[in-house]
Amino acid sequence: MDTVIRVIGLGNVLVGDDAFGPWVIHALESLWTFPPGVSLEDLGTPGLDLLPYLTDTATVILADTVRADGSAGELRRYDKAQILANPLQPRVSPHDPGLKDALLSLELEERGPREVILVGAIPGPARYDVGLSPAVRAAVEPAARLVVAELERLGARPQPRERAVLGTPWWDLEV
Amino acid sequence: MAQWVTIDPITRIEGHLRIDVEVDGGRVRNAWSSGQMFRGIEKILIGRDPRDAWLFTQRFCGVCTTVHAIASVRAVENALNLAIPLNAQYIRNLILCAHAIHDHIVHFYHLSALDFVDVVSALKADPAKAASIAEGLSNWPGNNRAAFAAVKEKLQGFVDAGQLGIFSNGYWGHPAMKLAPEVNLIAVSHYLEALEYQRRINQVVAVLGSKTPNIQNLAVGGVANAINLDNMATLNMQKLYQVKSLLDEVKAFIEQVYLVDVAVVAASYPEWLSYGKGVTNYMAVPDLPLDGAGTQFDLPGGVIWGGDLTGVKPITKFGDEYFRDGVTENVTHAWYAGTDTKHPFEGETNPAYSDFDAKGKYSWIKAPRFQGKPMQVGPLADVLVGYALKHAPTVKWVSKFVEMASGIARTRLGLDVMHSTLGRHAARAIRCAIISDLSIRHWELLVGNISKGDVTIWNKPEFPSGEQQGFGFHEAPRGALSHWIVIRDGKIKNYQAVVPSTWNAGPRDENGEVGPYEASLVGNPVAKADAPLEVLRTVHSFDPCIACAIHTQDVDGTSIATVKAL
Repeated sequence: MDTVIRVIGLGNVLVGDDAFGPWVIHALESLWTFPPGVSLEDLGTPGLDLLPYLTDTATVILADTVRADGSAGELRRYDKAQILANPLQPRVSPHDPGLKDALLSLELEERGPREVILVGAIPGPARYDVGLSPAVRAAVEPAARLVVAELERLGARPQPRERAVLGTPWWDLEV
Repeated sequence: MAQWVTIDPITRIEGHLRIDVEVDGGRVRNAWSSGQMFRGIEKILIGRDPRDAWLFTQRFCGVCTTVHAIASVRAVENALNLAIPLNAQYIRNLILCAHAIHDHIVHFYHLSALDFVDVVSALKADPAKAASIAEGLSNWPGNNRAAFAAVKEKLQGFVDAGQLGIFSNGYWGHPAMKLAPEVNLIAVSHYLEALEYQRRINQVVAVLGSKTPNIQNLAVGGVANAINLDNMATLNMQKLYQVKSLLDEVKAFIEQVYLVDVAVVAASYPEWLSYGKGVTNYMAVPDLPLDGAGTQFDLPGGVIWGGDLTGVKPITKFGDEYFRDGVTENVTHAWYAGTDTKHPFEGETNPAYSDFDAKGKYSWIKAPRFQGKPMQVGPLADVLVGYALKHAPTVKWVSKFVEMASGIARTRLGLDVMHSTLGRHAARAIRCAIISDLSIRHWELLVGNISKGDVTIWNKPEFPSGEQQGFGFHEAPRGALSHWIVIRDGKIKNYQAVVPSTWNAGPRDENGEVGPYEASLVGNPVAKADAPLEVLRTVHSFDPCIACAIHTQDVDGTSIATVKAL
């Protein structure tokens, strides 16, 4: 069966709280199993390399950090209309374009996802080392549960794994 | 009176490229390039197992994952003096080719074409006229009246629905835009087709690398692609033929669409074949090794001083002493302690941040130098070095391109036009065609080698006690990338990455000599200081990749980048 719902974690695992998105994927994979048609991916900070993952997919659920008013660790939910609401600005490097560019390109190509949900956490200050801040670490399981609730709403109910433990992901292991 | 213009992407984090220019009499008089990201990311590697380094380095940058993985395993293999099996070399080469092709197509169509293409003007185009122009340039099946009419209609629908946001990062209606409406329509049509071809070439990386971004198939000593031509779970004939047909399809797009479009832009904006020259010391490292140890290559490397192609000095092998001994980094104008010049094996990362000071420290990027001089790296360096060394595929594609662009421009263009803003775009398209040819050659080499019964993919690395040092290089889409490692008793003692965009985007050095971005901007025209399209044109021509770090969605805010003219 083709993938109809993609769950994607975005962020850099080497830069403190930016690892939030990959952490949410790690938590989902550790604590639940998923029905056919649902895929989970940690894509790092892909810029326009997001495109193939958004093409011909009905629904995309993203976990990422978001810039918003509030304290570190607070969660926000956005839909496609909200993500696309504000215009793009002149870009300097290939990192600047991301989700909005990819979605708009696919709208023009008529191969974009019908539904996009972004589950975001407000990060603490950027820090060039591995490891989430306590506030953002505490938001990982709640964010994973929000993703699970979205999947249930979409009729793709994840099953909790028995005796599952959320371990440390590879990038966070002690040297 | 001189005006100061700052182009500064404002985000929550300090992770981007900032350009400051002083404009006087409609021209750039002086320029400063500032990377706004601390480079201490390499410190994370200290104390780790060298066999794990590539997993971490490919997370340096979300767009350049593959290249940092490759340079890292090559660095460790160089430190251990470890050759890898031929199959491993060819599989890596195929991944590198596919990654480079993908990067170049995306850069032209999706990241920089809007500097020259006015999308809104395409709505005034006559699709029949567009078809007759396009058919005169190429046999591409997508170039026909019905296809162009459909694209125009789609675009009109987008505009009517107020959805032009996709192109709102372009400066349509800017006085520096010159293409005819029909040519703009052709470009928009190819923009859409390029979306499909970049996906196809990315599939090659996914099939061989298991995943992209962030390939999973590397190992110090080789690759982890088990080969059994009859087994569905391994690299087999079916997967190899899938790779081959993807390579063939994308090759046609490069030759019949990408190269032609760049030639049209070059012929239509002849002044940009003279602006943007800057530093004419060029450096490219050899790549696509043909043996396990990296002593013979399909892409040559070398150094050109002051634009003199006759004096090209080759870089010939992994571990090349000329390259190894020439590289240093200086921190006089970078936010690190002191004013030292250090070799990467001794490199330090001790931050000393102050405000932006155009006369003092103003960037997180160090100033890399080769034998004390700034060097331009990237496809232009690659193509010029190949041409100077009479590399046959390079000579072939340079000649074809120059002939095509000359025909469109109805004037005889010489090789000297390559030292320019549009010359860098041209070189990238030429390099893409060269690599496309070579990707098919390396597919044949791989299949030929497997057919002989060789299915070896990995040589076991042995880590002796004591200290070893090594470096790995890769001619990445943006140019010469090198990783430098010091290993002590099997653990990483020091690690430095000297990345292509730091060669090009680096600041002034201890002698006040400017870096390539800075040099290339001086003399560029600027028609409107509050819409400095011309500055972006030159900076984009390098394919900058500076924000090697972070991903934060900015849903509520409106500012990704701001332009300030003072």
